[in-house]
Amino acid sequence: MSLAVEVKSLVKQFGNIRALDGITFNIKEGEIFGLIGPNGAGKTTTLRIICTLILPTSGAVKVFGLDVVNQASEVRKVISYLPEEAGAYPNLSGWEYLEFMARFSKGSASEVKRTIEEAAAISGLGERLKDKTKTYSKGMKRRLLVARALMTRPKLAILDEPASGLDVLHAYHVREIIKRYVKEHGVTVLLSSHNMLEVEYLCDRVALVNKGKVVVEGEPQKLKAKFNSANLEEVFAKVVGYA
Amino acid sequence: MLKGFQTIFVKELKELIRDPKILLGMLVIPLVLFPILGMVLGYAAETAQEQAEKATLLVVNNDGGNWSEVFIAFMNASMKTIVVSNLTPQQVLEQDLLKQNNSTQFIEIPAGFSANMTEHASGNQKIKATVNVYGVFQGSGVFSDIGASVTNVIVSKFNRYIAPDVVQITQSTIIKGEIQTGVDPATLSSLMMMQTIAIPVTVMIMLTYSMQIAATSVAMEKEEKTLETLLTVPVDRFAILMGKLASTIIVAGIASAAMMIGYNYMLGSITTQIPSELSVDLVKLGLMPTTFGYLLLGISLFMTLLSGLALAVIMSAFASDVRGATALVGYIYPIIFIPAMALMYLDINTLPMAIKALFFAIPYSQPIIASKAVVMGDYTTVIFGIIYVAIFTVVVMYAASRLFATEKILTAKLLFKGKMGKTVAETE
Ligand SMILES: Nc1ncnc2c1ncn2[C@@H]1O[C@H](COP(=O)(O)OP(=O)(O)OP(=O)(O)O)[C@@H](O)[C@H]1O
Ligand SMILES: [Mg+2]
Repeated sequence: MSLAVEVKSLVKQFGNIRALDGITFNIKEGEIFGLIGPNGAGKTTTLRIICTLILPTSGAVKVFGLDVVNQASEVRKVISYLPEEAGAYPNLSGWEYLEFMARFSKGSASEVKRTIEEAAAISGLGERLKDKTKTYSKGMKRRLLVARALMTRPKLAILDEPASGLDVLHAYHVREIIKRYVKEHGVTVLLSSHNMLEVEYLCDRVALVNKGKVVVEGEPQKLKAKFNSANLEEVFAKVVGYA
Repeated sequence: MLKGFQTIFVKELKELIRDPKILLGMLVIPLVLFPILGMVLGYAAETAQEQAEKATLLVVNNDGGNWSEVFIAFMNASMKTIVVSNLTPQQVLEQDLLKQNNSTQFIEIPAGFSANMTEHASGNQKIKATVNVYGVFQGSGVFSDIGASVTNVIVSKFNRYIAPDVVQITQSTIIKGEIQTGVDPATLSSLMMMQTIAIPVTVMIMLTYSMQIAATSVAMEKEEKTLETLLTVPVDRFAILMGKLASTIIVAGIASAAMMIGYNYMLGSITTQIPSELSVDLVKLGLMPTTFGYLLLGISLFMTLLSGLALAVIMSAFASDVRGATALVGYIYPIIFIPAMALMYLDINTLPMAIKALFFAIPYSQPIIASKAVVMGDYTTVIFGIIYVAIFTVVVMYAASRLFATEKILTAKLLFKGKMGKTVAETE
């Protein structure tokens, strides 16, 4: 199976802070891969380098064989990125926002229409899509943005804490959609999360990140067995040395 | 004491003081702008005075009597005078004597001057002598009619020596090579003052206001957290910038049109407000812009707004939020204000070459220069200015395209890191 993402010895230095200290992992095509780790571990920084927003200090990242530094505009054609903290244009309606974003990746008017109809279904916002996004609640906005990230059926969806701010039901709904998308459209997903339950349920493989390094990597079931733990939280605590 | 007041006050103060952009803005404007303005104005008054004193006065002696000789001798004591004889004012203009003698005004001593003086001196107080002063209307600058007032001062000095009010002055103005009898240049100047001040003030307000709005365009994307998403979709980054710029062109266009309508209305109401006994008709005198003049002025204004907006949009890309962006754009304001305020008081043509070149090089003073030039029918200056601002704008946009069009947008920003703070994507 070919590799969707190859991350090799990735280092990112912000002044004196070494945010990433040689991160290495691979993601196979069609896989849901989870990055987990405590606050400040370097998850967001890793995702931002992969989605061409910031440049690595050293190391290399390839997305479907494309280099994120030298072939950034090619990479942007095959990915979609959902930032951890993102917003929509406050004075556009949900529909207008989706249409605005769809036009960048889709050529014909019919394709744009199909794309935003799909997004409308994913978001589950119904009639509220006609309202300006500044009237949305935090969770509604997040659903709109998740829908935006998936609607174009990218080859790789990079989702930074996709379910953050969502209630239990909507988080469940979003997880179902991600799973379905991978199955139906062959989308590869790279996500970060704090929610171990979510990660266990969704991810084929996970990487535990701590202080800018991958400390352990593997399938959730195998990791639990290996560390003789009931859940990933326990695995994590054992690896990092709290337990 | 109001509960919590102190806590909030201290926090606000800390935040303001720690933002170097805001602090600098608060200090740079008053501490730099005002001294410079003071220097400019002092210089303006000085040069105007000097020029008036240096100016040669052309005296046309059509009288030839003894009193005319006395009068000329008196004038000559305070001003350099050149005397010609037996010419009508029209002939003076036709022979281009003013330009040849580097002068902007002449005094005609009409035939009968000496006779009237003698009459008056012999006790017939009702008889007065007259001199006719003809001044070239230069159109601009609060101090531009100092020359005319110097002649007035000398004449009244003469009267004090000889007899109260013996010599009367009639004022005429030469506008675009034609003598307008009975039109006092001082009256004209004070009418034109309105325009001299109104245009710079409006340009200042429009530029600062629209630049503030343009500056928020990129910064707003950062504040609303939409920029990161936008930068990862397959769109040319230069297209993002140009798209933002194009929308500001519309704003600039509407604003220029509105200003031209307002300006036309203002000039219209000046002419109707002039008391009829002054018999000053700006339209008849050719002191209102022609339709072509309005058009050129409008284009000049539009180009200037556009160049200001382009710069504001580009600068806002380097700020992390709206407050930072507006503070950053604030650094351009002194460059707008200094020439605008200086040109209220100065005629650009009387400035030394270096300052003239500097003012001309600042794109934001172009509409002000243009507004004076179109009134005087000097379209070459206006067209040249428009071309200059257009080139300036293209250069600014080209610089931006180097920064935004290629994949180097991020590397370029990393180069700026030391100076401009964090990179766009990294600032959040
Ligand atoms: N723009 C920046 N400037 C300076 N340091 C930064 C910047 N962005 C991130 N860092 C630092 O890099 C490290 C990793 O941050 P990152 O946002 O990747 O963590 P994270 O794993 O996503 O954490 P969280 O779970 O809180 O989202 C942190 O120490 C952070 O302070
Ligand atoms: Mg994060």
